[in-house]
Amino acid sequence: MPTALVGIDVGGTFTDFVLLQDGRLQVYKEATTPEDQSRAILSGLAHLGISPSLEGGAASNAEIVHGTTVATNALLERRGARTALLTTAGFVDVIEIGRQNRPHLYDLYQVRPNPLAPADLRYEAVERLDTEGNVLTALDEAALSRTAQQMAASAPESLAICFLYSFRNPHHEQRAAEIMRRSFPHLPISLSSDILPEYREYERTATTVINAYLLPLVGHYLQRLTGELGDLPIRVMQSGGGAIGADQAASEPARLVLSGPAGGVVGAFRIAQLAHESPQNGEEQGQKQSLPTQCRIITFDMGGTSTDVALCPDTVPRTAESEVAGLPLRLPIIDIHTVGAGGGSLARVDAGGGLRVGPESAGAVPGPVCYARGGDQPTVTDANLVLGRLDAGQFLGGSGAMELDVAASEHALAELGGRLGSLSLHEAALGVVRVANARMERALRRVSVERGHDPRDFTLVPFGGAGPLHACDLAESLGIPRILLPPSPGVLSALGLLIADVVHESSQALLVDAALLAAQPDPLQDMLAALEERVRTVLAAEGIEDPALEASLDLRYQGQSYELTVPLAMAAPGNAPSGPNLTAASIRQSTEAFHQAHADRYGYAMHSETVEIVTVRLRGTGPGADLHLPREPLGPSDASPARLGAKPVWFNANAAHASDCYDRSRLRPGHHFDGPAIVYQFDTTTVVAPGWSASVDERHNLLLARAGS
Amino acid sequence: MAPDPITLELYRHRFSGISEEMGITLQRTSYSPNIKERLDFSCALFDESGGLVAQAAHIPAHLGAMPDSVAAALAVFDQWQPGDVVILNDPYFGGSHLPDITLVSPVFLPPSNRENRAENGPQFFAASRAHHADVGGMSPGSLPLSTELYQEGIIIPPLKLYQGGELVEALLELILRNVRTPDERRGDLAAQRAAHAVGDRRLHELAALHGNDELLDYAGYLQEYSERLTRAAIRSWPQGSFTFEDPIESVVDGRTTPAPIRVTATIEDDTVTLDFSGTCPSIHGSLNAPLSVTRSACYYVVRCLVGEDVPVNAGCFAPVQVEAPSGCLVNARPPAAVAGGNVETSQRITDAVLGALAQALPDRIAAAGQGTMNNCTMGGENADGSPWTYYETLGGGMGAHPLGDGFSGAHVHMSNTLNTPVEALELAYPLRLTRYHLRRDSGGAGKHQGGEGIVREYEILRPTTATILSERRAIAPWGLAGGSPAAPGRNLLIDTDGTEEELSSKVTRRLQPGQRLRIETPGGGGWGKASS
Repeated sequence: MPTALVGIDVGGTFTDFVLLQDGRLQVYKEATTPEDQSRAILSGLAHLGISPSLEGGAASNAEIVHGTTVATNALLERRGARTALLTTAGFVDVIEIGRQNRPHLYDLYQVRPNPLAPADLRYEAVERLDTEGNVLTALDEAALSRTAQQMAASAPESLAICFLYSFRNPHHEQRAAEIMRRSFPHLPISLSSDILPEYREYERTATTVINAYLLPLVGHYLQRLTGELGDLPIRVMQSGGGAIGADQAASEPARLVLSGPAGGVVGAFRIAQLAHESPQNGEEQGQKQSLPTQCRIITFDMGGTSTDVALCPDTVPRTAESEVAGLPLRLPIIDIHTVGAGGGSLARVDAGGGLRVGPESAGAVPGPVCYARGGDQPTVTDANLVLGRLDAGQFLGGSGAMELDVAASEHALAELGGRLGSLSLHEAALGVVRVANARMERALRRVSVERGHDPRDFTLVPFGGAGPLHACDLAESLGIPRILLPPSPGVLSALGLLIADVVHESSQALLVDAALLAAQPDPLQDMLAALEERVRTVLAAEGIEDPALEASLDLRYQGQSYELTVPLAMAAPGNAPSGPNLTAASIRQSTEAFHQAHADRYGYAMHSETVEIVTVRLRGTGPGADLHLPREPLGPSDASPARLGAKPVWFNANAAHASDCYDRSRLRPGHHFDGPAIVYQFDTTTVVAPGWSASVDERHNLLLARAGS
Repeated sequence: MAPDPITLELYRHRFSGISEEMGITLQRTSYSPNIKERLDFSCALFDESGGLVAQAAHIPAHLGAMPDSVAAALAVFDQWQPGDVVILNDPYFGGSHLPDITLVSPVFLPPSNRENRAENGPQFFAASRAHHADVGGMSPGSLPLSTELYQEGIIIPPLKLYQGGELVEALLELILRNVRTPDERRGDLAAQRAAHAVGDRRLHELAALHGNDELLDYAGYLQEYSERLTRAAIRSWPQGSFTFEDPIESVVDGRTTPAPIRVTATIEDDTVTLDFSGTCPSIHGSLNAPLSVTRSACYYVVRCLVGEDVPVNAGCFAPVQVEAPSGCLVNARPPAAVAGGNVETSQRITDAVLGALAQALPDRIAAAGQGTMNNCTMGGENADGSPWTYYETLGGGMGAHPLGDGFSGAHVHMSNTLNTPVEALELAYPLRLTRYHLRRDSGGAGKHQGGEGIVREYEILRPTTATILSERRAIAPWGLAGGSPAAPGRNLLIDTDGTEEELSSKVTRRLQPGQRLRIETPGGGGWGKASS
């Protein structure tokens, strides 16, 4: 076991480090180096005293888990490889037609982004399988050799091969890859039967092409990073919330596309889990802030340009349906909903005299007006500053790292108030915050109420630079009774990386009637055995010999177009189901679970309808680092030792409330105080609204509760 | 009292949030593929006098038609009680085409102190419209090649389906006895009612928090706000009258004749009038459009030009006047058949209005898109004797515009439904696709090229009856600013020996195994002179 673990999360502005050594956590931030993310990583590691062994010296006994935006940025900025695509003859444009809908309903001027594999790099292979994978037209190998010669002229840097029904029979794709390799021995090739052996040709093709598009760039980045890290082992966070070794990560970069936000949800959920286990929870009398036994949280990660929310009903929610840069990505990701509202969202008055906030953002440059970098349009951050919620002297912990220009914010918001029809400065600022909150409230509603969850049963876990500023307002409008603020909300993503499990997941289309399969389960057993071998092979390379295996099935009523994923009970961890009877029972159990899930999510179930098993999934897990945050017994409730003073804060436009200010680093377990109050710490500022109270638990979490709840 | 601009923005989110949540409920709980997968439905809130307050629309075809539904319900009923639900689908009285069934229900909030408001009536109405998979008539799916309305399915004038919360069972039984899949209809109607319950509940929650006076005031202010935004946009357009004509393809006994849609757009100050005088009379066939469909197409165009982020409500449409002579193709009278008016003629009305406005706003408007949805209905018997039917629509080219090429292979204007994946289609039906790709060089040439159409070729595996309802087979989508027209579409039947027969734009044929049906959809027109 390594003695030190480091989580490194690369964000747009900062690269965050969390070091776990000898049971202690250490936090560090380094400015991100966008042209080469590894530079900030190496200098941050050096700061933490962790050195790679490069010239035969002793490497630190440390292990690194990395959340990277290299794949995401390459996709969003279209900086990936020159990617060729080989398809079944007659179907060369599937990647361009997509689902034949247009992204904007009312836009006469829309332009389709160029497909990742453009028309002049798309080629056909004469071959055709039927729905069962039987050969209708054999692969024309001679013609394919000629195609390879034509392709050479266009000098592709990566190749994706996607044939119809390759999820039933990968042979044609594999044979085509062999033939192409003869002409291009060094060309990276992604096969759809490897990357996503599931049905629906557009989604499979798009996911495979994304993989091919990212392979050279991500591979190069990870190769350089591992080279520089020498003997220090490094894992990379995948979109689904599990980490995997750098080599495996480089071979399937499509799994890294949402690497960044995944860490935050994993970290928030783990912190919340620990807080729910705390003996303080429910056992001690008189604790108003006690948490329910189930860990049901809504994560609320508000950054500069956008806000990510995820609803965790006692588990981290995962899905295989997502869209990135307008393309479907059908690989496991954490189910996160994003809305374009953040601290940098710009406020403006539209032609009808209405106040609009976002989705346009001031970004890091010029940034909010108060950054004094040339921004002149007020942002949510400016509004928070004017209202006294942010403090010019306490920004980034009062480190003096950045001067905030309050007068400039006031000027911009007073002007906005004038344009809105003689609103006062504070009316305008409150308006900006309330409108931004309204947009985030809709995101929170979408993941909760609209999916059948009552927000009153959940705890809000805000993080990111701006989450804790807005948490009380949002909790108030959704009826959420509790808020849990982790000790370091600004580096929660890096913490999540550190504790992530090692995970590999594999899936395969099956497409059979569940009732028929229950009577004759062999096809499912065979498929599970094949998936198990794949998962075990990958995880063995990570040093995990005995992974926990979880199987699940994607089911639907015959005729539907969407599936729901439900667990499939396995005989014992790591064993194939031990007999047909057991499997039959398992399948029936899964079918029942599906009816229930359908009723929960959509309001009805159809027990007499045929249920179809569309996809089989197997997830193998090796445990990540165990997080034992230091616990301190609860002390006296008097929080005055941490009190910095008081200042006026506007919660309504008529008058400011005198609000106590606290230094988070001096708050001790047991401390208790009432809102209105402001809590300052290096990486964020927390607003405790009037009517809310705060207390510190044994692990230094700050628990906020609404009076009377 | 003047509205507070911040509260106004909050109510914009609140009201549109409610209509969206109604929509999600409907989508999740419905049975018809048209609703849950093609998203062919709308949910909306109206004020006490029937003014649209907020609408969640996934397809533009319902934009102008929803207010007509509420107006029809209000015209018939002046007494309301909580729990009432009105049902209707009559294209000549609040509907658009028969498969679109609309429910309208009143919302009664707690009594208000305001003197000038009637205390006994409802303060809001909730409405939902959904495309049901079948409402009877001469062919499954209820989109037949019909010649009068009575062939298209059951016609429901505005009637109370629920009275004070009690189901009027006799009415439901009558409706269900007239459709092919009664259980599905029952489920879809229940789903619509569930959506109304959500709307009702959310309005009550808002009223409890903020008082119903504030709700009613801001429902009105939001309409004024959208109207201001729309008028401001129209005021920036050049004034004048601009006329354009674009025909649909009327097919009678296999012969195609153009049936012109003529529109004169008059821009005056901050209003626009769209006058369809000069449009041909109703035709013998299903392509006639009731006025509500025509309005939807006109409102769609204005919305494209004004901007997507103006909240959809009555204010958006107040500055837009739509006039059409009674009995013409775009203001049909009973009993003209209208099944195809909503899916095909609506596209041509859109093209005509865009063509007229392009003369005023040459740098704001795209060339004509494919202008059709290419409706294909197929059916027959499976090997086990069970029947199958399948309906799909195909994308094509979008028109090029001053900023770039047209989108290829997409639905244009009034439709935006998803395709069926090749692998899903073949698994479910005795059909095999032999091609599905873009139709090269079908987009009109120009400085910017029109989008390409699609080629989709089906090999028939078992005897199949196929019905095609398509447009732009004879008359090409036009280019703009010197751009060339696109290639019109083609419907081809390819026999087992390879001989090709070109089919008409509207046709029903019995096909045998081994034969192939190839649909080539139109491209989009080009924009600007090609540099040579």
